Amino acid sequence: MSHFDEMTVLLYLEGELDADRAHTVAAHADSCAECRALLQALKNEDVWLRESLAAEDESIPARLMDAPVRAPVPWGWVTAFGLAAGGAYTLWSGFVEPMRAEAAQAGFTQGNLLTMLFFSGAFWKGWDAMRSLMEFLAIATLGTVMIWLLRRHWRRFATVAVVMGTLLCALAMPLTVGAAETRKGNPSYTLPATEEVKTDLIVCADRTVIDGVVDGDLIVFSSNVTVNGHVKGDILSFTQELRMNGTVDGNIRDFSQGLLLNGTVGKNLMVWADHIDFGDKAKVGGTATFGCNRVQLDGQIGGDLLAMASNLDINGSLGHDASIVSEHLTIGPEAEIKGHTKFQGHNQPDVSSTAKLGSPIEIVIKKHGERAEINPAHVIWHQLLLWGASFLFGLVFLLLAPGFFADATSSCKKVGPAIGFGFLFGIATPIAAIIACCTIVGLGVGISALFLWMIAVYATQIFVGAWLGDTLLGTKPGVGLAIGKLALGLAILRVLRMIPYVGGWICFLIILWGIGAITLAAYKNMRPPVATAA
Amino acid sequence: MSAAELAEVLGQVRAGDADAWGELYRQYGPAIFRFCRRVLPAREDAEDATTEIFMKVRQKLGTYDTSRPFVGWLYKVASNHCWDTLRRRRIRQDLETGDVETLPLEHPDPSQLERLQAEHSGKEVRAGLAKLPDRARMALVLRYYSDMSYDEIAETLGVRRAFVGVLLLRARHQLRDALGRSAGELLRGTIAGGRP
Repeated sequence: MSHFDEMTVLLYLEGELDADRAHTVAAHADSCAECRALLQALKNEDVWLRESLAAEDESIPARLMDAPVRAPVPWGWVTAFGLAAGGAYTLWSGFVEPMRAEAAQAGFTQGNLLTMLFFSGAFWKGWDAMRSLMEFLAIATLGTVMIWLLRRHWRRFATVAVVMGTLLCALAMPLTVGAAETRKGNPSYTLPATEEVKTDLIVCADRTVIDGVVDGDLIVFSSNVTVNGHVKGDILSFTQELRMNGTVDGNIRDFSQGLLLNGTVGKNLMVWADHIDFGDKAKVGGTATFGCNRVQLDGQIGGDLLAMASNLDINGSLGHDASIVSEHLTIGPEAEIKGHTKFQGHNQPDVSSTAKLGSPIEIVIKKHGERAEINPAHVIWHQLLLWGASFLFGLVFLLLAPGFFADATSSCKKVGPAIGFGFLFGIATPIAAIIACCTIVGLGVGISALFLWMIAVYATQIFVGAWLGDTLLGTKPGVGLAIGKLALGLAILRVLRMIPYVGGWICFLIILWGIGAITLAAYKNMRPPVATAA
Repeated sequence: MSAAELAEVLGQVRAGDADAWGELYRQYGPAIFRFCRRVLPAREDAEDATTEIFMKVRQKLGTYDTSRPFVGWLYKVASNHCWDTLRRRRIRQDLETGDVETLPLEHPDPSQLERLQAEHSGKEVRAGLAKLPDRARMALVLRYYSDMSYDEIAETLGVRRAFVGVLLLRARHQLRDALGRSAGELLRGTIAGGRP
């Protein structure tokens, strides 16, 4: 026979040839010196490799001397996650929001309530003290993330040194945050008319009366707040009732049972309350945003009005546009709306014939239980767009974080634990975030966590979709195939969600399942090296 | 440790005996650490992986089939863990498979091959190993350190069984090349022309 090739020799040595073929090779080697030499050389290489790899060249490190016992709770990562949320908020408030604010001032105003609330930063504007705190948290976050990224490359001593250095730097920085006075009522607090607070004022009291001047922001937690004086910054209030008779140069952000406004607000007003009584002497220089049950609006608003309310009664003047979502809208005889008015509700608005309107009201009446006429082509196009958006999102995720993507996808295989964790975290996270929002320190973290949660909810479909693709097409590796599987999985999910009645539940299941998978994958990735027993 | 002793220790570990767990770790920890050092280029990764592998072993010990060799099962857990770790770093590429399948099977000169073995120490071999692509390195370690069968290697790396031999041969070629371009060049093709 002719000489055999190296592959055959290797398989012969490894015992991987069938008996006949092995016999032929052995017989040939006996008679062919050249092949015998090759066989011997590869045999020697086999031994050489085994000996080289088996050598006990280095001793086991000290930290591995004792058997590992258990994985500790990753408190470091829990903290880092919270700080990362603070960092995200800082990025938003420090860079994105000011840019949007400038754009708004340049005439690029926002068109709807959602945009206004979540993207124009109306909620945050003027909250400088908290911003400073969040910036401090962001610095700590960056330090933590850097250490984590570099932990594989740095010796442990260096890592500890960097951690300590970062903490010291971070602790040294927030001194500027302390420029606020804190007053606690006993049980009530009054700032006399003759007194002026030269900085921000934080008040916690049963009843609060501000007759004097606050040369900064007023942050108040109180059952009843009355402002007769002058606040040169913003008012942020968490109260049962806020009576504003004085002057605020900045913004008012109010979370209360009721707001009675008879004074002047230089900038914007944002209120979440049961009822608002906006007196005829009240003036708001900027935009007014309401989320209320009942609103009586008799005063003046210089900017836009964005309102969601059960009953809205307008008898004052609006300088710009009004966008209103309401059960009942009444526009009285004294009302004046200089811009465009858009109304959505279930009932026809009651508009006085003597009201002055800049343009006819754009009315969209929604009838209970009425479904819009469905255009199949439009639905398909819409679904295609949604599929494309989710596919692009998944693609970016796949390429930027393939490890996490693979982990989250494989976590979907653990159906029970994934749905269980999904149920827990899918519900617990927003609740925890809302609770965090109720505390002054946690507000930034809470809102950021909510944003991250929403992103996670959106991302659920890509992991469940990728898992579905894996299940259908197998788990062979490769970028091209992974993208194909993702596309197929997402398409199937999109179709499933279009099924009448069941689609909504499928969507809910996907979210639970995906959130659980993300949680499992995140835990797997964030878990620090397991500590060894002492 | 004899088979009977090992069975006794494993039983005690299952029952939650901390001393037995320590004994098992002392027996196999160094070997698994060396396995991780061969497979994962960074020492820190190998240290972390060793700990994580033993945590998995403790968790999964209930699923271990005592009729099979414990060492084989242990290496199976270790190799799966290390391969997952490597996989997390990058998406396994189709290209690598393509390269291997189109590998021109040139023949080494036996004398040059033996000279290469004589000239390079075990330490140099291990250093050369670290320069190989993940899968090639993994294949060599699984076969020549862990002594895994072709079936086990195929299962761990997610390739066809028939492909394992090609993978190993390719890895050997890459290792020879990594040990020195000049040596690699000397090795190539000197008797290829004389073979059909």
